[in-house]
Amino acid sequence: MNRRSPLTGPGSVLRLPSARIAVIVVVVVVVFLSVFGSALAPQDPLAINANALFQGPGLHHLLGTDYLGRDVLSRLMAGTRMSVLTAFEAVGIGLILGVPLGIATVFLGKWFDFAANRVSDALMTLPYVFFAVAVTAVLGNGLIQAMSAVGILLVPLFFRLTRAATLEFARAQYVEAAELLGASKLHVIRVHVVRKVLPTIAVTTAMMAAYALLSVSFFTFLGIGVTPPAPTWGGVLSSDVDYLSQAPWAPFIPGALIAITVGALNALADAFRDRVGPGTLPVAAQILAQVSKTHSTLEAADVRQSAA
Amino acid sequence: MSGNPPPDEVLGIEDLHITVHDGAVTAVRGISLSVSTGEIVGLVGESGSGKTLACRAALGVLPAGCAIESGTISFGGKDVTDLSRRGWERLHGTGVGAVFQDPSSYLNPNLTVGSQLAEVLRVKQGMPRREAHRKTVELFTTVGLHNPERVFHQIPAELSGGMLQRVMIAIAISCGPQLLIADEATTALDVTIQAEIIELLKDLRDQRGLAVLFVSHDLALIRELCDRVVVFYAGEAVETGPVEEIIERPSHPYTQALLGVASVGDFQRRELRVIPGQPPQVGADITGCRFAARCPAAIDACRSAPVGLMRLAPGHQARCVRAADPELAAAAAETALAAR
Amino acid sequence: MTAPVTGAASLDAKPLLAAEDIDVVLGRGWRANQVLSHVNLKIWPGEIVGLVGETGSGKTTLARTVVGLVRPKQGRIVFDGTEISGLRGGARRRDRRSGHVQLVFQDPLRSLDPDLTVAEIVGEGLKIRGGIGRAEIERRATRALQQVGLDAALLSRAPGQISGGQRQRVAIARALATDPRLLLCDEPVSALDASNRNYILRLLGELRDSLGLPIVIISHDLSSLAGIADRVVVLYRGRIVEDGPVGQVFAEPRHPYTALLMASAPSVTHDRPLSAHQLRRTPDDPAPPSTANACVFAARCPFAIGACAEQPALEAIGTARNVRTAGTVEAAGPQTARWTAACHRHGEWPALARERSAVAAPRQPAKLTRNQEGFSSCPSSSSA
Repeated sequence: MNRRSPLTGPGSVLRLPSARIAVIVVVVVVVFLSVFGSALAPQDPLAINANALFQGPGLHHLLGTDYLGRDVLSRLMAGTRMSVLTAFEAVGIGLILGVPLGIATVFLGKWFDFAANRVSDALMTLPYVFFAVAVTAVLGNGLIQAMSAVGILLVPLFFRLTRAATLEFARAQYVEAAELLGASKLHVIRVHVVRKVLPTIAVTTAMMAAYALLSVSFFTFLGIGVTPPAPTWGGVLSSDVDYLSQAPWAPFIPGALIAITVGALNALADAFRDRVGPGTLPVAAQILAQVSKTHSTLEAADVRQSAA
Repeated sequence: MSGNPPPDEVLGIEDLHITVHDGAVTAVRGISLSVSTGEIVGLVGESGSGKTLACRAALGVLPAGCAIESGTISFGGKDVTDLSRRGWERLHGTGVGAVFQDPSSYLNPNLTVGSQLAEVLRVKQGMPRREAHRKTVELFTTVGLHNPERVFHQIPAELSGGMLQRVMIAIAISCGPQLLIADEATTALDVTIQAEIIELLKDLRDQRGLAVLFVSHDLALIRELCDRVVVFYAGEAVETGPVEEIIERPSHPYTQALLGVASVGDFQRRELRVIPGQPPQVGADITGCRFAARCPAAIDACRSAPVGLMRLAPGHQARCVRAADPELAAAAAETALAAR
Repeated sequence: MTAPVTGAASLDAKPLLAAEDIDVVLGRGWRANQVLSHVNLKIWPGEIVGLVGETGSGKTTLARTVVGLVRPKQGRIVFDGTEISGLRGGARRRDRRSGHVQLVFQDPLRSLDPDLTVAEIVGEGLKIRGGIGRAEIERRATRALQQVGLDAALLSRAPGQISGGQRQRVAIARALATDPRLLLCDEPVSALDASNRNYILRLLGELRDSLGLPIVIISHDLSSLAGIADRVVVLYRGRIVEDGPVGQVFAEPRHPYTALLMASAPSVTHDRPLSAHQLRRTPDDPAPPSTANACVFAARCPFAIGACAEQPALEAIGTARNVRTAGTVEAAGPQTARWTAACHRHGEWPALARERSAVAAPRQPAKLTRNQEGFSSCPSSSSA
């Protein structure tokens, strides 16, 4: 059967123009490093060398050394794992809790929806840094705990975006047709909704990954959840800032790394977003077109009622 | 075929060929028609037959990738085939107006309909605001809108489809064009409203001498409204002539088929006919008659060579090798009677 | 022309579907709209009923109420003796899974999931029903496609890859796959040209003839049911104004709106007993009653009198007579007893209409003062 999969169909990410290949390369490299970074680092990221402090980029140390003579490249490569994995941890929590709730809330009736929305509103009012600090105070000072706090705070975002996308498709006439055939809500979700909401989820995930990575860098910069001397991107950046006068070039390196990775993730999200459109015209737009075409408030009310 | 155009000819199309897909495919072949003052000419045919393309060419708004390959279009005697964009802008509204199928998509949903018509008057004719308002109300009355002052201040969402279409007609005739092109203008309307719009068009013809080019897929509608008709099939004109003549004595098998499926109007139980088969792909390369594949009366001569328009009577032509064949005429008469 | 084999022949036969005294209000508060009022509709097996009304008449709402997508404020829907309008939740799903009442939506572009194949779409009802193997579902989907004249090759295509006429037929096939006992089609042919329209109508007629399947065709236009309808029900502003056998209603309509519909429909022949103009109000006609309870058509009716301040009930048109239709003579009898119209003057207005001018008076080009209303051939301020 000719199923149109999101991966190989016309809207697939695999058909992006070549300009975006760079983005994919960046993401792939970062993910690769998060797995193999420690093993591939040219030198021991923890090795202190008092004779080679603040060296600029050179043959022996490709990106120079820091205030303790440790090789910056090795530290960054080794630090990739911690940063990236915990960022993914946060996104994972947000996704696993937020997406199913977002889909379900459309089908579970308006009281559930009301409650879910209010909880989500409440979570969104929490300032995330303080919340993360509070969680680490309770659960212990680790990056994993801190990022789980971020993960909890990502849940409302996933929830809202998934809910909005699902609402559009849940009101489609083919969903009505399925209901008329006696379909259960689960059938409707499985057959008609999930596939269409995936693009939105993909976009949201990429966006949130960028956000989470930035959060990781921020936390480690502030020293939250860091157990020194384990290297992290934000930690490297933080220590570089302390010694700005001796090595003014130094912060640019981890800064650039963070910026490029976050930027690549954002660009990936943009690329996904560009693809959401032509194939599945948002039902809301269709309804709007229909309402503006109908020339009687009676029929228009009927259409709105059918959409409600 | 063409001599001097009649003195009051408003639109003249001569042997028009239009290509699409950047010249790869010829969608319209050899269309000729003319519309004179106070005359309503209908273009009838299935979708894809080329009638809409011909209209767009007459308006100078062919979509991207489409071009006039050969032939001429003239307005009131003046050749406009290669008119510049500026030239067309001047012509739009003052020489020719147009209404299309879905009026609400041609109006700004956030502005009152009166202001939109007044804007046209101010821009195209430099009218001062007050006069434009007055003229707008006058035009709304001409097109049959009740309470034109009230309608002036309403936005499109507050008006029914029929009222919106009247507004579009008002806009189209606001600057006094000689020709109105209506492309499926009543297709989306309720049948009672459609009847009123048809009467409105006839009124405009009678009172202002407005020439109308009316495009529809419904032969019955064409018969109600038009004086003359051009039957399109697969990009060609297969029969042209006065409406009454064509309904009584259809000479082309496609016209006969259209008559056979058209609405008779008494709605009783009857056997419904269809036209078997599908029209050819746009621009398909066919030797001979393009209808031969679906034609119940096709003979070898139909498929061997291109078929030209045969003149049957003054103003009545058909693109059929057997048009003057008495046998065919008898069969057609039988069909026509059975359709009633 | 085959004589219709219908249960309608016997006046005592039980209707398959009965919509009893349906009131539907859409919207809430100040936006509330009474879309249907006191609608009573019965459908017998083996007949094709045309439900005709203009935009805003409530015809689509009535269809949606029958299938349960809209909850009536009052009244009930009874199918084969069982009240289905009161069902909720699991019971309603179970009832729907039996597939006995199906609705074909108006726009197949919206009602067919663009991401599914034709096979999945047509077989969805069976899959939902459960307990049917994949092979069997595919077999029945193929059969449904064949019933609508489509080739099995279409099974693997997506809706976007087939033509509009084919999409419409796929929508009908989806409804047929569950072996329905009643089919409702919302504007099935409005978007099609004459030949395709006739093809689909013929198809529906054949389904009625071969399966005895009753079909309700909802349309704004009489030509959408021409040739195959047995009965016509005319809806105006949420009320049924006429309901009767096609042969008799169209030979001599008893409600002025039905006559207006007929007169407005374009036709290639000339014989029209009444022209549309004779059935429209002109400024010379006396002002119609405008009380809250007035006949829904009064504002547009040229024959409205004082009595029309009261909404007329549907009355039986009871004269037994032989009516000549399309060359055959249908004996009067139970048919005429099931012909009803809601008009106080249903016996008188035809004669009055014939006396009216058949063409509009030529209109003066407008030169207006600010307060003057314009002339118009359009009958009421709230329409057109």
